[in-house]
Amino acid sequence: MYRIQIDRSLCSGFGACAELAPEVIELDASGNATARVGVTDDPAVLDAAAACPMAAITVIEEEAEAA
Amino acid sequence: MRDPTFWILARASGLTAYVLLTMSVLAGLVLKSRPFGRALSAATVTDTHRFLAFLGLGAVALHGITLVLDSTVHISLPALLVPGLAPYRPLWTALGVLAAELAVVLVISFPLRKRIGMRAWRRLHWATYGVFALATVHGLAAGTDTPTPWAFALYVGAVGSVVFATAWRALNRPVRPPTKGGHDVPNTDRPLTV
Repeated sequence: MYRIQIDRSLCSGFGACAELAPEVIELDASGNATARVGVTDDPAVLDAAAACPMAAITVIEEEAEAA
Repeated sequence: MRDPTFWILARASGLTAYVLLTMSVLAGLVLKSRPFGRALSAATVTDTHRFLAFLGLGAVALHGITLVLDSTVHISLPALLVPGLAPYRPLWTALGVLAAELAVVLVISFPLRKRIGMRAWRRLHWATYGVFALATVHGLAAGTDTPTPWAFALYVGAVGSVVFATAWRALNRPVRPPTKGGHDVPNTDRPLTV
């Protein structure tokens, strides 16, 4: 599982993240990135974080909780 | 005998500025098309892109100052700011002045991007191609080193690499849904990119 943190003071709305991980990150009405969910198992968030020109996205890998 | 120091510095700094501009443009294109994928973080490329642009402006400043100090070509301080005032190859030096002024606007626009608005900022950033084209023509036509094989090769290499990287970027555009034109507020389901 990946926990997503977006530093909105750094986000400038370049939009690369929303393009690479549209299931997880979207741009809000003001053009800033916002996470649709807090945690995800979609590895596309790793690409989204690496593609952010402002390093605004932090992805923390977490152990999946046993069901 | 006339001291050639400033003349040599003026030529060297002009060519250095052009190389730095080229490298900054290439870094900007790497940032957009991401040919190295996750191996190279976009934030690192952004820093490199901005640093090269900043160094380039420093080299341009040195280029202008040394041309004023040198007596081979007569360029006054106002001629550094007003295109067409320099008596030496007026049109070609004017293009250099315009390129430098546009480059200053582009560098200043980055910290102001949120105030300008990202959409307008992106449009403005396309002017970088104008800076590169103006600087190329300026260097080729006003530069006294152009007839030498090494300088000519430098221009050919710079233009070739920027054309190649631009073509790469154009061919590797992410697939995205069709956008409705003409509104400033981005749609949440339609990510914006240059």
